[in-house]
Amino acid sequence: MTERETGGETAGATESPVVLEMRGVTKTFGATRANDEVSITLHRGEILGLLGENGAGKSTLMKILYGLYRPDAGSIFMDGEEVEIHDPKDAVERGIGMVHQHFTLIPPLTVAENIVLGAEPRRGAALDLEGAIKATEELSERYGLRVDPRSRVADLSVGVQQRVEILKTLYREARILILDEPTSVLTPQETEDLFSVLKELVADGLSIIFITHKLGELLGVSDRITIIRDGRVVDTVKTAETNERELARLMVGRDVLLRVEKKDVEPGEPRLAGEELVVRSNTGAVVVDGVSLEVRAGEILGVAGVDGNGQTELAEALAGVRRAESGHVYLDGEDVTASGADARQERGLAYVPEDRGKKGLVLDFHLYENNTLKTYDEPPFSKWGWIFPKIMRRRAAEALRAYDVRPPDPDARARSLSGGNQQKAIVARELSGDPGVIIASQPTRGVDVGAIEFIHSQLLEQRSEGKAILLISLELEEVRSLSDRIVVLYAGKLVGEVTPDATDEELGLLMAGQGSEQETTA
Amino acid sequence: MEDFFGSFGTLLASTIRNATPLIFAALGGMFSERSGVVNIALEGLMLISAFAGVVGASLSGSALVGLATGLAAGLLFALIHALMCVTFEADQIISGTAINLLALGGTGFLMVEIFGSGGTSPRVSGFKEVPIPLLSDIPVIGTALFNQSLLVYLMYLLIPITYLAVFRTPFGLRLRATGEVPEAVDTAGVSVWRMRYYGVALSGLLAACGGVYLSMGILSAFTENMTGGRGFIALAALIFGRWNPIGAAAAALLFGFALAVTFQVPQEVIPLEFIQMLPYILTIVVLVGFGGRAIAPAAIGKPYRKE
Amino acid sequence: MSEERREPEGTRSPAFRRFVGDTVGALAFPLIAIVISFLIGAVIMLATGNNPLTAFGALFRGAFGDPLAIGRTLLTATPLIFTGLAVAVAFRAGLFNIGGEGQFFIGAITAAWLGVSLGSLGPLGMALALLGCALTGFLWGAIPGFLKAYFGAHEVITTIMLNFVATYLATYLALNPLRSEGLVPGTATIDLGARIPFIGLGLGRANYGLLLALVAAVVVYLLLWRTRRGFEIRAVGLSPGAANYAGMRIGLNTVLALAIGGSLAALGGGEEVLGVYGKMSIPFVYNIGFNGIGVALLGRNHPVGVVLGAILFGGLASGAQEMQFSTDVPLQLADVLLAVILLLVTATKLVELIVGKRARALAGTRLEGGL
Repeated sequence: MTERETGGETAGATESPVVLEMRGVTKTFGATRANDEVSITLHRGEILGLLGENGAGKSTLMKILYGLYRPDAGSIFMDGEEVEIHDPKDAVERGIGMVHQHFTLIPPLTVAENIVLGAEPRRGAALDLEGAIKATEELSERYGLRVDPRSRVADLSVGVQQRVEILKTLYREARILILDEPTSVLTPQETEDLFSVLKELVADGLSIIFITHKLGELLGVSDRITIIRDGRVVDTVKTAETNERELARLMVGRDVLLRVEKKDVEPGEPRLAGEELVVRSNTGAVVVDGVSLEVRAGEILGVAGVDGNGQTELAEALAGVRRAESGHVYLDGEDVTASGADARQERGLAYVPEDRGKKGLVLDFHLYENNTLKTYDEPPFSKWGWIFPKIMRRRAAEALRAYDVRPPDPDARARSLSGGNQQKAIVARELSGDPGVIIASQPTRGVDVGAIEFIHSQLLEQRSEGKAILLISLELEEVRSLSDRIVVLYAGKLVGEVTPDATDEELGLLMAGQGSEQETTA
Repeated sequence: MEDFFGSFGTLLASTIRNATPLIFAALGGMFSERSGVVNIALEGLMLISAFAGVVGASLSGSALVGLATGLAAGLLFALIHALMCVTFEADQIISGTAINLLALGGTGFLMVEIFGSGGTSPRVSGFKEVPIPLLSDIPVIGTALFNQSLLVYLMYLLIPITYLAVFRTPFGLRLRATGEVPEAVDTAGVSVWRMRYYGVALSGLLAACGGVYLSMGILSAFTENMTGGRGFIALAALIFGRWNPIGAAAAALLFGFALAVTFQVPQEVIPLEFIQMLPYILTIVVLVGFGGRAIAPAAIGKPYRKE
Repeated sequence: MSEERREPEGTRSPAFRRFVGDTVGALAFPLIAIVISFLIGAVIMLATGNNPLTAFGALFRGAFGDPLAIGRTLLTATPLIFTGLAVAVAFRAGLFNIGGEGQFFIGAITAAWLGVSLGSLGPLGMALALLGCALTGFLWGAIPGFLKAYFGAHEVITTIMLNFVATYLATYLALNPLRSEGLVPGTATIDLGARIPFIGLGLGRANYGLLLALVAAVVVYLLLWRTRRGFEIRAVGLSPGAANYAGMRIGLNTVLALAIGGSLAALGGGEEVLGVYGKMSIPFVYNIGFNGIGVALLGRNHPVGVVLGAILFGGLASGAQEMQFSTDVPLQLADVLLAVILLLVTATKLVELIVGKRARALAGTRLEGGL
């Protein structure tokens, strides 16, 4: 990874008055202490980065600030005075605005309607739509957030939707803005746009808290960074005085190798191939537009790209869950285009889907049932239409232990497991059948560090054993560290192939659709 | 020629009469479903209000009092549904079914307790037809449209009123938002639960109008199980009409027509039972032809829990 | 959130403890719902000037007091087991089968027709008639399944509409082509030889259809938990997304679940005609469909629960008659009580407040609501 220029410092930002202080905040959920005596300060006109891994406690802290949770202990001070925030309404009245990771926009309604919801301008008993539109335009002008007030949110791109979310907070006169993982759905270019908007906002006197696990970005935009690990504040540093390695170390607690060790493996014959695949989404739009790719034995092909460019449908088409409109899929040379997911699985295709709760597992099934979700109709689990739970249980127990699922109890219901363990259970199911080809879509999303390391090592092991692995991920880091080759999916087309050494800039351009070659076959 | 217009006029009048309870119920269902709460209890709400209306009218001698008691009963049962679905997070379809059962059993029980026997209640003063001067003199359609009971005129007014309420007021905006993305409403500082209670309560009141009209506008008495599936037909009309007041009313009119026809077609041509099947088959055909799943309010059917 | 439980050495195995916990939890809230409902019933009785103690006494006497009462209870319970199973199987697939009433009528008219035509074959005729019911019910149930699978038509509305169509159709058939001469409008009476025999033992008209119902319950259990089809049905019901990803065919399972439900309900209708009445006379009054839903929900959509629930419902219905006879309480109160039980059973959060979170987690199936 290229060394970022540290910057983003506004002159005198850290000498300006403290607008917000959270002192000694503690919050416990059941057995987990999400926040443990956490203290942060925010100065006027500064961008404070809140850095930590998934599950470190950053979101919880901000939800407390926003009134979604009540802290078990600790206090909040605004402009020097202690305040109590009972619910989001309180927070908003005090000038705190929050842009969540998952937008709370209403797709069928227009931009203006979304912005004014809850604080609607009125004309008598009726809604003053014209007034709403005018207000939107004014704010849009003032802060450089270009939107069309009359357009339906459903028709907008993610980047524009995010602008609407920010406008919502500005409409309510927020002076403190909290952004929760805002860049997870943006291309590098849209991210730059966002950063300039943020700089506009602080120039106007707003103060911003920027939550993320991406340390590179914070180095580009923040003034100070508070690092949270396991619910505690590890340190607060001035951005100008720190660097990536230090942040990584603070975030994870040990010297993190930003790249995983990979053995050299000589790739063999292609085991998975897609040829001119055209796939439609549920709404009928073409989301995979003539994609051809090939994954060879002993290699990991990474597919990078911003969410929503056809990744899901491509994976589904290759796995046989979704019928491609045209094109072919080959497994070990055999044309399996006409076969369903069942048949492909029997030929050695494993698929770890990105939505473990809704697609990967039946959450209310026991683990032994989930473990045989694809094999329940094969011997030894089934004969003449009957199934044998005892045998299922036994096999499941073995698989769960082998893949470090905790607790390795075949009778436990999938719902009771943590995200990481659920993911490992899926991996256990898919890999214990000794597949030849593996499609892994976002295999570590929302999963704790330990499970991430385990899953990555499993994938690399499979690679050493000569399997072909297609890795689809939104996390550039993951794609870079695991893949042998990387392709980028943009608007349903493969727009470039690079090696893991490619710069962020190269990848970013490809992800935004501005690659040098328009279309590639991998 | 005159004969044709005559029977056309009769058919139109009958269509309006049959459609009115459906339109009321469909409009009511719209408020509930737009807020995110499935309401298959429309049937039970109509039934209990039909009964309560008759009881009120019979005890007081006044149809208006009957309307008041009918509205109260509809509101009460709707609030039970709201309590179950919104506060206790029950499955909304099961709760609706239970309300229907409760209405069915309750009306049967109370029929015996209050009127001494089951079957049909004694006659009460109903909502007779009241012609609107001038308008009811229009040839052919005048009598059909403008010589109806007060409740029908109320229904005419409610269609544009509900349209404006849902699409042109802050309340309507919040209601629609609640049914689509309750999280957005919550973070905007509006209470999701309160909006849903309002939606369900309104469905109770509107369905009650439909029920009261059924017992007191057409028959002036209550018969056991007199709703005969109309609540479900109204729901189908709502879906067919895309949860839009105008669309739902138009669809309900169509179903009203089907019901009216069951009384008019001579039985020598088609056996009675097959005529009686017609509205129900039509409902199925409509549902199949215009599959309603894609455009339901997005958050419908799921209780809202703060994370 | 995973609950790490440290099991001390030497205690009963976790599986056993879980089983006990599950059973207690599963029984807990229906029982609580019943108790609360009876309390409400008592209040209503007091309000209408009756003595709850004598009324409930009559209720219990009429339900279980003597062999005749027990016979009546079983008689009422038998068709409810069938329609309850019909609803339960569909629920397991994530579907609402409100069409029990119509499917029941289809079965009844089929039995009335085949029972008469095949009456000369004696018990073989009876068996064939029952088979016929299962078949026509299967087809009738497949209709809403098909409409849902291929057109997305919501089964709540289609099944209810088909109820009306079925009852009108059956009525038409009973009054026209299959009509018998005689004072009572309806079909001809089936030969005694082709009827389901009474159990006797002083149990009144309770017949071996009950045995058939119990067998059906066992079959449903085996189907759902010991066959591939059942595995798929349950997977589709709990998570259509995951089932789809696993290669299961949602449409097929939708159709089959509703078709099997139709079969079961139709067998109920067949049992009533072949076992109890010997014919289908008009009006053929039942509220079997909705009560079947109540039974299924009370029984948590599990065959054992359905049987127990059906006996409860049967007891209430049978007892209510005695209650109306010896006190002034109208028998419809039983319907009210049942509706209240249903409301309470489905208000899981309320129960959670009373019994605790674990009981709530044991809800039978995850149902996809929404129209």
